[in-house]
Amino acid sequence: MKKILLLFLAISILYSCKKEESPISGCMDVLATNYNPDAVIATYNCEYFLATPYIIETPFGFPDMIVPDNNPTTIEGVSLGDKLFHDKILSGDESQSCSSCHKKEFGFSDENRFSEGIDGLLGDRSASTIINAGWNTRNFWDGRAITLEDQAFGPVVNPIEMHDTWPNVENKLNANSEYKQLFKDAFNIDYIDSTHVSMAIAQFERTLISANSKFDKYLRGETQLTASELAGYAIFNSEKGDCFHCHGTQMFMDNLFHNNGLDPEPFTDLGLGKITNNASDNAKFKTPTLRNIEFSAPYMHDGRFSTLEDVVEHYNSGGEYSLTVDPLMKKLGVGLQLTNQEKQDLVAFLKTLTDSDFIDGN
Amino acid sequence: MKNTLLLITAFALTFSSCKKDKSIETNLEVNFSQTVNGESLEQNTLQYTNADGQDYSVKKLWYIISDITLHSDEGENVIKDYHFIDIDNPSTLSFTINDLEDANYTSISYTMGLDSIKNISNVYVNEDFHTTMFWPEEMENGMFMGGGYHYMKLEGNYTNDTLAFNTHTGGTMGMDYSFNHTDVISLIIDALTINTALTINMEVNNWYQNPNSITLSTDGIMGNKMIQMQIKQNGADVFSTTIN
Repeated sequence: MKKILLLFLAISILYSCKKEESPISGCMDVLATNYNPDAVIATYNCEYFLATPYIIETPFGFPDMIVPDNNPTTIEGVSLGDKLFHDKILSGDESQSCSSCHKKEFGFSDENRFSEGIDGLLGDRSASTIINAGWNTRNFWDGRAITLEDQAFGPVVNPIEMHDTWPNVENKLNANSEYKQLFKDAFNIDYIDSTHVSMAIAQFERTLISANSKFDKYLRGETQLTASELAGYAIFNSEKGDCFHCHGTQMFMDNLFHNNGLDPEPFTDLGLGKITNNASDNAKFKTPTLRNIEFSAPYMHDGRFSTLEDVVEHYNSGGEYSLTVDPLMKKLGVGLQLTNQEKQDLVAFLKTLTDSDFIDGN
Repeated sequence: MKNTLLLITAFALTFSSCKKDKSIETNLEVNFSQTVNGESLEQNTLQYTNADGQDYSVKKLWYIISDITLHSDEGENVIKDYHFIDIDNPSTLSFTINDLEDANYTSISYTMGLDSIKNISNVYVNEDFHTTMFWPEEMENGMFMGGGYHYMKLEGNYTNDTLAFNTHTGGTMGMDYSFNHTDVISLIIDALTINTALTINMEVNNWYQNPNSITLSTDGIMGNKMIQMQIKQNGADVFSTTIN
């Protein structure tokens, strides 16, 4: 009896914890160097090529930057993106680079209302600034690209901009031994493709951080603002000027889309509405940051205002009524009724957002 | 005999050792709803009338509810520190607690907005509402605005579509206008309860009446301590909780 019990016990121990016969397990992430295409069960032992990490420091009052898991910022990647951003090789006739329209001295935007592409054609929107673009939750004035990687795909092949094709760009880059080595160093790839070009440019753009303006120094107690700048700050930060509801926090933007009362209906540019196909989004555009606004004229999505005084005058006038105008534009037809002195004060404050280190530095 | 017992025990242990624990966890879903005169809020049309006789519409309604706490004989159970609601974003209209403790809960309390301990500038810098609910810190006409975050942004049109109002509440000039509200409930969670749900409703029109009739205007109220206080007083009958 005891023997039978013992035997039964032995068998039960053997079987009770036995695992099912397992299918092939391994790394299922295509980005990993040890990616196993036959794997059915994911394991955690994926190994990745990693260039030297580039540490992005979060400025005071900024959220942590969200960087895509598949495109960590690296010193090699940023350096490559910097080179690509300034290289005319990305355009059809090699006459323009990204920086032809996103000029550092103009706050990484274009001093012209509409930028001229390689074929002499003009766009219908003003080049966006890319200051602190790493914190954008959507990109372009109409938000049609979510990530900076998505965004970078656009201008290279846009017929009115750099007017190239991605196969052509890939051929040009692959024929260039210097780029072959730089992409190898940054991404461990032997064939350069459009995906990695956009990844490198996005990495570079994430490093374009401006957070050391006169205003920042004032907040840190390192400098004083003039009486006029302080008066402008008070107008900016109160419902008298009501700038802060959209251009608030240390980022001076809310990552949202608004119709700020520029035009009555019918709208000539539907903005976000054209992307979402939702009429309630018509004529809404992304709030730009006000950092370095002194340099990024002309202003608005269509560059209609050439000076900050014009911009202040628009808000002071109250704006135009339309179905989608933001309820924050609560003085339609009445206006803010700022005095000339108050308008000057507001402009003086806006100029404290100039970060000379960022505009002039390397 | 002794050996046989030992063997049987060992045998039983062998089988049970690979078995998972199967204790029942209770899921509590907390929903947020908004009504006007008891009917679900409909946005964008001038169909509501306040105590002052003004017709109005609601275009935007964002608010923060904090310190959501269930109370029982055994004590307090804080189920969420703060929650941001945007009525246009369905994912903000509910949250779920997965391991609600067994108890006979007799009331729920929560704070409209953020109290002075929580309402500090840049504390929620990584929350989605940081950029949209932020409240300025610096001066308005030489006065301190207080910093922190808006408790609520209730915006729309009144009288006609060209007049916009912004009912923005918050701790203006460092004053704390948040308030705690308690609802009596009967929520019995025992070993057999798997799913349960409750709904915290905001009766929007009550912000503008009882005891203070609020007149909508195009003037901002963020720097107006009197109106902030009146809206806080009106808030006593704005919220209610039902067990679903």
